[in-house]
Amino acid sequence: MKNRGRIVAFVMMLIAIVFLAPAVLMVFTAFKAPDEVLNPSSAIPHHWTVENFARTLKYSEEAPFAQWLLNSLLISTSVTFLVLFVSSMCAFAIARLKIKNGSRILIVIVASMMIPGQLFLIPVYLMLGWFHWLDTPLALIVPATAGGFGVFMLTQFMRAIPPSLEEAALIDGCSLWGVYSQICLPLCTPALATLGIFTFIGSWNDFLGPLVFMDSVRNYTLPVGIALYQSSYYTEYGKTLATSVLGTAPLVIVYAIFQKRIISSMATTGLKD
Amino acid sequence: MKSLRTQTRLANLFVIPYGMSFVVFIICPIVFAAVLAFTQLDLTSRQHVHFVGFDNFREALKDPYFVQATQVTCLYSVLIVPAFVILSFGLALGLQGMAFGRNTVRGMLFLPGMFNVVVASIIWRWFYDGEFGFFNYLLKREGLTPIHWLGEKTLALPSIVVMSLWWGLGGATIILLAALEQVPIHLYEAAMIDGATSRKLLTKITIPQMRPVLLFIVVTSTIGAFQVFGQTFMMTNGGPDRSTTGLVQLIYDTAFNKYRLGYAASISWLLFFMISVIIIAQALLLRRSID
Repeated sequence: MKNRGRIVAFVMMLIAIVFLAPAVLMVFTAFKAPDEVLNPSSAIPHHWTVENFARTLKYSEEAPFAQWLLNSLLISTSVTFLVLFVSSMCAFAIARLKIKNGSRILIVIVASMMIPGQLFLIPVYLMLGWFHWLDTPLALIVPATAGGFGVFMLTQFMRAIPPSLEEAALIDGCSLWGVYSQICLPLCTPALATLGIFTFIGSWNDFLGPLVFMDSVRNYTLPVGIALYQSSYYTEYGKTLATSVLGTAPLVIVYAIFQKRIISSMATTGLKD
Repeated sequence: MKSLRTQTRLANLFVIPYGMSFVVFIICPIVFAAVLAFTQLDLTSRQHVHFVGFDNFREALKDPYFVQATQVTCLYSVLIVPAFVILSFGLALGLQGMAFGRNTVRGMLFLPGMFNVVVASIIWRWFYDGEFGFFNYLLKREGLTPIHWLGEKTLALPSIVVMSLWWGLGGATIILLAALEQVPIHLYEAAMIDGATSRKLLTKITIPQMRPVLLFIVVTSTIGAFQVFGQTFMMTNGGPDRSTTGLVQLIYDTAFNKYRLGYAASISWLLFFMISVIIIAQALLLRRSID
């Protein structure tokens, strides 16, 4: 029995290495010189060079990489904080203040999560046009706050908090805003952190939204910038892969820091019925 | 909670920010999308915007592009969903059986899921490249003829399926592993005392106990498969010969390359109905198999 566990462990490790191989090959190849990229003799570069990265990062009108990176950071950070703020306030009203019809409101919000995103694409595109928000970061920030997942998740979490602390604070003359910001939010830190990480990743990886709503090159987010620009140097794989490495690095850092939290909250998604 | 409830009026203020966003960006777009589906709205033509009843839907059902995109979407789902469910379940069982190193391997399996669809597609398009690709490098080294993985009508879609499996399996595996760990251990102990084989344990205990989670994986992966877009847009742009143009790609092309917004809206409703029918069918099938 024990031997079997060891054999399984080795087989699974081999599989995991196969899973990681594409990413590792991408990183190695990004450090190769152009002729070595096309005629690989080994996976590991003979001569390590940062030429591909230097060419990617050099400012150019048609591929302002640093600008795209800034856009993505600005948009994903704003979306994350707005979603946390707006969803936690709504969840606070439903779960803690027990507003009238709170659970009915929650059902409508959860039902809206079932609708596939493409249905919203065309009407939201036209509406953003009327607001004159197309091709501005607002087009990607504001509509993202309407997602129901945050309200749903935070309501579930807040319902489990005992009310005694909040009641005591109210008796001591604390305002509702004070109860929300000084007591409820600190108690919700774990849930807020999880929601924040997933919102950031989701916003960073969003592709269809920025592809449709953004028009000028300098307003692209990183994924759309990489996608549309790489089509013009299709087979310059060294450069394409260097761009991809740089574009993925921020998320891999997020993953490295929060891996435990990300995996444990992924694990529970299937269990809530 | 009485003291909190007395402040109802103030309490409602907390709903306003999210509520406004919800009304403007969820409710309004749904109503608007419903109106659009019955409207002729072509940004390129000088025709007035006007109501056309069910014409858009009638056109779609006769449109060979729509029929083909539906076939491509269904074929993609049929190819990916069973493989996805079986492989993620197998990986979860493997993880559970590991004597050591489980958390490390779990983290490694999930890493591809963090990659952007653009980056994941770039890596795999490079792998599949007809001239410089990694797979063809291996084939050539063995003296075999290189294959145009993404350029052949029959190979392009399966190639995208393989890439999507690599990209998505980790998440489902984590969910299934967590569920495996919830199966009560005494069930296994009792069966083992009765002399059950490990195959019996799998088919009579593990799979029945896991049924709700397996259904969750089936449903979510089907929904995801029906909405495939990023991979096909990046790797083949719907080609060769439209053989990888799914419904979302068709909606995108119709709306933002041909600027036929009304017609595209009606296709998105048709996609929505297809997804709903499939989810309801899957849920009913599950309920029957439980009873």
